[in-house]
Order: sequence, then C-alpha cells, then structure tokens
Amino acid sequence: MQASIIALVLALATGSVAAQVAASVEGTVALPKPAAPARLNARYAAQAGAWLPPEPPTAVVFLEGAPLPPDDRPATNVVQMVQKGMQFGPGLLAVRKGTRVEFPNADDFYHNVFSYSKAKRFDLGRFLKDEKAPAITFDQPGVVKLYCEIHEHMRGTVVVLETPYFVKTDTNGVYRLTGLPAGLFKLKAWIDEKNSFEQPVDLKPGTTARVNFPGSP
Amino acid sequence: MRIPTSILVLLAFAAQVAGAQEALRSSLSDALHYQSPSGFIRADLSGLVDLEAYFIDRRPPGLIFGNADLFNPRLSLFLDTHLGEQFYSLVQFRADRGGDPRSKPDGDVRVDEYLLRWTPWTDGRVNVQAGKFATVFGKWVQRHDSWQNPFITAPLAYENVNTITDQSAPGSPAAFLARRSVADQKAKWLPVVWGPAYTSGASVFGQVEQWDYAVEFKNAAISSRPTVWDAQNLGWDHPTVSTRLGLTPGAAWNFGVSASRGAYLLPAAEASLPVGRGLGSYAQTTLGTDVLWSHHAWQVWGEALVARLQVPRVGNADTFTYFVETKYKLTPNLFAAVRWNQQLCGTVPDGAGGTQHWDRNLSRVDTALGYRFTRHWQGKLQYSYTHENAPFQQSEQLLAAQFTVKF
Repeated sequence: MQASIIALVLALATGSVAAQVAASVEGTVALPKPAAPARLNARYAAQAGAWLPPEPPTAVVFLEGAPLPPDDRPATNVVQMVQKGMQFGPGLLAVRKGTRVEFPNADDFYHNVFSYSKAKRFDLGRFLKDEKAPAITFDQPGVVKLYCEIHEHMRGTVVVLETPYFVKTDTNGVYRLTGLPAGLFKLKAWIDEKNSFEQPVDLKPGTTARVNFPGSP
Repeated sequence: MRIPTSILVLLAFAAQVAGAQEALRSSLSDALHYQSPSGFIRADLSGLVDLEAYFIDRRPPGLIFGNADLFNPRLSLFLDTHLGEQFYSLVQFRADRGGDPRSKPDGDVRVDEYLLRWTPWTDGRVNVQAGKFATVFGKWVQRHDSWQNPFITAPLAYENVNTITDQSAPGSPAAFLARRSVADQKAKWLPVVWGPAYTSGASVFGQVEQWDYAVEFKNAAISSRPTVWDAQNLGWDHPTVSTRLGLTPGAAWNFGVSASRGAYLLPAAEASLPVGRGLGSYAQTTLGTDVLWSHHAWQVWGEALVARLQVPRVGNADTFTYFVETKYKLTPNLFAAVRWNQQLCGTVPDGAGGTQHWDRNLSRVDTALGYRFTRHWQGKLQYSYTHENAPFQQSEQLLAAQFTVKF
C-alpha cells in the first residue's frame, strides 16, 4: 500500500514536471487555394442526392525524430470519417498508427470506401446509412488515399503517423502543437502528395517556438 | 482449347505497366479539366484505352464480327462539359476496329455520342436532352463501358443476333425459317437490342423521390444497327419511342420496367415489302423489366425482355430473353462475375399449315475474373460457353481478355 502511494506521488510529480518543461510550437502553413469542386458527370441518369462542396485544404503538422513519452501506449482510439453530401468529412484525417477509423454513411444512398495505397489496401463494399459503420484499423504509417467507387469525385486522405506529436491546421493554415519534448527535431507539414514541407526546430522547455511553412517567420 | 499467345502477351503487358507511374497517371487524370475563372464553364476530358483479345473456337458469338481470333484495340474519349448549373453536354469519341469488335477491321474513327442536356431544377426532377445517345431502355447501358462492365461482352439480349433482318422482307415463311440453318449474318441480322443503341433524338428524364423516369423519341429502333444511328443516315420518318420507369425503395434495390415501339425495317427493305405495306407497317415492340440489388461486396443485376418483331409475309416473331448477372469482390482488387443468359423464340406459321420456332433457342453462361491494379488499370478474363438447341451451333466457347487504362 505504501509503495503504491509512493509510486502515485512520483508519477504525479513526474507528470507535473513534464508539463512544466514541455515545449510548444506554433505557426502557419501556406495552404493552396481550394480546388475547383468537381461536377458529377451523370451521363446516363439524373443526378440523385444533395451535394456539398469539398472541405477547404488543411495540413497535418507533425514532429519527427522526437522520443516517445515515457508513458506512451499504442493508439487504441476510434475516430470517424463521415460520408455526407457525397464528400468525405473530414477530407484529411491525421491519426496515430493503430487508430481505428469508422466510416459512417450519412447519406440516403450507398457509399463505398476503398484504398489501393501501400499503407492500407481495403474495400469496404457498399454500405447504408442505417448500418453499423464499417471500420478499419490503420496499423502501418503512411498516406492512405480514400475513394468511393460509386462517386468518383470523392477524395479522402488518412495520414497515419508513428509519432504522437501531430496536429491538423485550421482552414487558414494556423496550428499549435503542445506537450512536446525539448530538443532539436524535424517539423513537417503535409498538405498532399505535391505539397509537403519540413524545417528543423529547436524546442526549449517551457517555451513556444514559431515555425511557418514554407520559410522562416 | 489452346491459350492464345495474344492473351498471354496482354497479361504480361498488364503486369508490367500496372505498377509503374501511378502518380503520373493520377496527375494526368486530375489535369484534364478546364474551369473558367467564374466557374461557369467546366470541362472534363477523360478516356478509356482498351486492349482486347478474343479466342473463338468456332464462329464468333454475339456482335463479334469476322471468323477468327482477333485483337481489338479501342480508344474512347469523353468530353463532359457543364455550363452553369443547368446545362451539360457529353461527346464520346472512339477510335477502334468498329463499334462492335472487327465490324470495321481496317479501323474506324467516329463520334458515338453527343448530347446537350438542360436541367431546369437542381434536384434533377426534369432533364431534357437532345442528340445521339444511349437508349433509356433497360438498365445495362449504365454499366456498358469497359470499366464498369464486369464482363467483356454484353448480355445476350444486347448482342445475340437473330434471323430477323432490317434490310429486306423474306419472300416466304419457308425462306425466313431457312435462316435458322446458316451461320449468323451479322451484317444483315439484328439482336433484340443492339448494345447501347446510340440512336438520335430527344429524351425527357428525371428523378422524383423514389421514382425515376425516362422517355425518348429516337430515329431508329433499339435493335437497329450502328450505321443508322446517326440522324443524317436515318431520319425520323419512322421513329421509335422508348420509356423506362424505375423505383428505388431503398438504396439496395432498383426496379424498372421498360417499353419500346417503332419501325425496325430500313428504307432498303421497302422494295421487297408486300404491296400496300410500308416500313411503318412492321414494328418492333419490346417490353422489359430489370432489377438491381447490391450490398457490401455483392452486386446483382437481372433483366427480362419480351420482343415482338412483325415480319413481312410471316407474322409476329416473338422472343423472350433474360439474364441474371452477379459480381462479387473477392479482395479489394479482385472480383469475379457470373452471368446466365437465355433466349427462347416463339413459333410462326411455316406456310405449310404448321408452326415452327423461328430461330434457335440459346443458353449461355459467362464467367469473368477482373483485377483492378490501381484506380486507372484493370484487367479482365472472360470465358463463355454457349449452347444452341439445334444441330447448328454458331459458337460454343469464347475466351477473351481485356486490359483497360482509365484516365
């Protein structure tokens, strides 16, 4: 009993110190202009269903080379990427390796999700709004491009990361990444296959570094 | 059956190219569009490159022309253009050895489809379109391109030529019945529906809640041959009206009924008609029903058609044809498909006081395996076995391979 109390106190103390010495980084990522929304080329039938515009571009910012926290555990969380208005939402999802992603269909017609990406190859078939959302565990790091075979214009991306230190920008490109270890690491920003950046970042305990992509502040 | 070298070469070629330069092809696919600064005009150019090889053990089945194995390359380009929210146009251009394999063995370049569509309401309740485009009859048209079709050939109803011709009237019932004992005359005879039937005219179609409807007014019958699909080759003196009504009670199901009626004889047949009769005296009337079901890895389609063609000096030649087709995804890349087809022919007076079946009854099973290497490369293998309920067999076994690049 006494040992447990001591361990708890030590853990709390360590966590408190870690929180005090954690570093942060913030800045902006220059995002491309939103792509022109595609049109459904319904050659042989009337268009069915309401169609939402695609999500504006965002980026994933992540720290590479940093040591894992001492209490790090494999990801077991579940997140969702919804299909609504013939779009994936969010269109860009960043998850840690091991995360399970559900793909609920919020439309009144069939959707499908498939990927031929090396990091995860799968096809969920055709599924309905009222069905239990099919899910995939992303167990390999990499970029997984998602498509719907029924609605060819639909595009989604899951960025699967080894590191727990990542964040998604808002639609203005603004990000803030907290709880980071001190040290000299690489900070990367990934927008899509054609647009990714990286910069060295020297993180000091208790301070917030500023890194903009591309270029320096 | 020997495995034709062309099929092996095709498969080897597919394996070589499938893994390479995917990013480049994706970029190309994304780049082939134009949008005006205001967004009012948007044009997308896309296409399919098909390399097909057919190995035929007797005579070619369906709408495969010629008399031997063949290699059939095809380039299809699609230009989809949107003008604002209300106007859409499609142009489909093809370069190949004929719309049906080897129907033009020396090569052919043509515009298969062109249409302008007006959609006054964005919910799609009404669309009006004019041009040269696929028929609204049935449900097969929506998956007739090589990327969507799980098979390489069309269902029996859309490609099996019967002993009825659009070019002349038979001299007697005996002359008509004698056609049963000769090989298919594809330059003269007609199927129930000739492929996608890109005939010319106008249509109105739309979707209202669970219902979808379509009505078209075209220049030629749904059985008509491609040479008369263009309006400059055949006008609207003897038009065909076709319609389809569909119901989608839930996302998994779609039911449809179709009907089509119009003259099927061409002006060349006029001189051979009985005195006092004209081209409009002989109609093709076709009724059809279709069903679609899909869920998870399964897709199932079925269609049944009843057709009556009025044959000069003979009477009504009736036929019933149907198919059931299923596709199953075995893995994210690999799918298998099976289709059962049958056509049964009615009887006509034989001119000697009796009746006889006017054409050979026929059954066919189609099997296919397909593999999608990427979103832009696909390979398919098809094996078909046909049996005709007669001493004469047009075709028995067919082995075909198709490799498709989509951009």
